Amino acid sequence: MESFDTLVNEAARIHGHLCPGQVIGVRMSMLGCRLIGLDEPKCHDQIKKLIVYIEMDRCAGDAVAYVTGVKLGRRSLKFADYGIMAATFINLETNIAFRIVSTEEARALAPFYAPDIAGKSAQQLEAYKLMPDSVLFRVQEVIVKLKDHDMPGPTRKKVTCARCGQVVRDHREVIIDNNPVCRPCTDDAYFSDAREITWEHMDWVPNNKVNNFNTLLNNTTIKRS
Amino acid sequence: MLKKVPVQKAVGTRLAHDITEIRPGEFKGAAFKKGHTVCDDDICRLQKLGKNHLYLVDLEEDEIHENQAAKILANGLAGVGIDWQDDPKEGKITLHAAIDGIISINIASLAAFNMIDEVMCATQHNHSLVKKGDLVAATRAIPLVMKRAPIERAAMIAATGEGTIAVKPVKNIKAGLIITGSEVYNGLIKDGFAPLLSKKIEDFGSQILSVEYAPDDTKLIKQAIIRCLDSGCELILLTGGMSVDPDDVTRAGIRQAGAIEMHYGTAVLPGAMFLVAYINDIPLLGVPACGLHHKITVLDLVLPRIMAGEHIGKKELAFFGHGGLCMDCKECTYPHCPFGKGV
Repeated sequence: MESFDTLVNEAARIHGHLCPGQVIGVRMSMLGCRLIGLDEPKCHDQIKKLIVYIEMDRCAGDAVAYVTGVKLGRRSLKFADYGIMAATFINLETNIAFRIVSTEEARALAPFYAPDIAGKSAQQLEAYKLMPDSVLFRVQEVIVKLKDHDMPGPTRKKVTCARCGQVVRDHREVIIDNNPVCRPCTDDAYFSDAREITWEHMDWVPNNKVNNFNTLLNNTTIKRS
Repeated sequence: MLKKVPVQKAVGTRLAHDITEIRPGEFKGAAFKKGHTVCDDDICRLQKLGKNHLYLVDLEEDEIHENQAAKILANGLAGVGIDWQDDPKEGKITLHAAIDGIISINIASLAAFNMIDEVMCATQHNHSLVKKGDLVAATRAIPLVMKRAPIERAAMIAATGEGTIAVKPVKNIKAGLIITGSEVYNGLIKDGFAPLLSKKIEDFGSQILSVEYAPDDTKLIKQAIIRCLDSGCELILLTGGMSVDPDDVTRAGIRQAGAIEMHYGTAVLPGAMFLVAYINDIPLLGVPACGLHHKITVLDLVLPRIMAGEHIGKKELAFFGHGGLCMDCKECTYPHCPFGKGV
C-alpha cells in the first residue's frame, strides 16, 4: 500500500478538498486492510477478495472507496445508510470481517493532540494524523452474512414487475400477493409522482456533428404531456 | 457477572473486593481485603459498615476483576522513571517516581485514556519536580467487574509512544552566568543576580562554571558568550539588557554570538521579557530584571525543563500563558500554587 501521505493527498484530490474526513477515511481503510490481510486491495489479485460496507455518506466514505478501490458498480462497495462513521472490511477469501467505528471522543480530543493549531477543522485534520489508531477507532470483529445475490459477478436473477413491467435484478423486487413488484410501484420509493416526459432533440446520439452536449445544454425544451 | 447475596448468607464465601471503612478524620482504608473468607464474626462489622449485601463474582470469559484491570492500566500508563506495585488498594494502583526529576505527562494520551468508559487516571501537574518515591499518579477501573477489551484498549492508548506518565531526570550541568549592564560593570551598583541565580542552579545539583560581567556593549557580550561556550558551559544565563531601552543590547550580543533560534517574550508574569535562545543546542536564557525582585518567575518554570533535556521553543513559551499569571501573594507558596501549572 502507498504511504499515508500519498493516499491522503490523492484522496483529497479525488474528493475535491482536504478535510478531516479524508484523514479518517484513509486511516480507517489502512487499518481495515491491515486487519483482513490485504496489502494492495486495488491490485488485480486482491480486488475480488474485498467488500466494504460504508455506513456514512460523508467525506470519509470517498476516502475509503479510493484507498480500497471498492466500487458500487463492482458490487464491492455497499452503502448501509446508518449515519454512523463506520465501515466494515470483509475478506471474501477468509471470510473475516472487521467493523471499524470512528470514535466520537477523537473529536473531543483534537485540541489535546494539536493544541497549537487554530480553527476546528484544521485542528482536527492535524490531530487525526497524530492520534494512534486506538484513539481514533474502535474495532469489532463481525459476521457478515452475504447473500449470493449481493455478491460481485453476473446478475443472479431477473424478474418483471407485475404492475409496470420493469425488470428488477438480484432479488430487489417486493413480493405482493405472490407477485413480484418493483420498489417504485410500492409506497416505499425515494421519489413520488413520476410521469414520463419527452424533450427536444430526443434523436441525439454521441458524436453528433451538429449538436454536441454544450450546444444542447441550454437549448433543450422539456415537453410535459 | 455479579450476584448479590445477603451478608448472613455470605459466610464461607470470599470477598470480591476490598471493603472500605471510613472513620472521619481518623481512618480510611480496607476493613476487609479482597479474598477474605467471610465468617460469622464478620457479619456484625460488615453491617456496621452499611453492608447488608455482598457481591459474589462469577467472571464471564471476557470479563475481568477491578484488580486485574488496575494492573493492566498501570502497566500501560507507566513510562520511564515510574515505579508501581501490583498491590491494588481498594481497586487502585499508585504510580511513584523511581528517580528524582520532573514529571512528564502526555496530556493528550491521558485525556484519551480517561475518555474510555470505566477507567480513570489522575496525576500531579505536568513538569512538577518530584523526589524518588513521590506519588505521581493513581489509576483504577471504576466498576468491580468489567469487559476486558476496553481495559486493554485504554492501556494501549496509554502506552502509545513513550507512555503517558514518566519522570525525566534533572541532569547535573555546568552553567555560566553573564551579568550585563554598565552600571554593574563599572561598580556603580552592586550585582544581585549572581548569588541569586547561582543558588537556583546549585539547588538542582548543578554547578556554576563561570561568572562573567559585561558592560552594555554588544561585542563584549558576544565575546563573553563565546568564552562561556568554549569553556564547556551547557547552559548560559544572561541578566540585564532585556528591556526596551537603547542601552539594552544583550539580545544583539546573543544574536551576534551565533544564536539561530531566539525567542524573546513569554506569556508569563513575572517574566514577559524573558528570552530563550540556542547556539548549537546550548540554551541561553535571558533573565529580565523581574528575576531580582520576584522570588519566583518564568525562570523557575523553564529551568527544570531545560535541565531535564527539554527543548523550550516558541510553542512551549506560548503555552505557559494559561496559568502563567503569578498572583504575587504576600506569602509565596510556590510550587504549591497554580503558577505555571496550566501546561
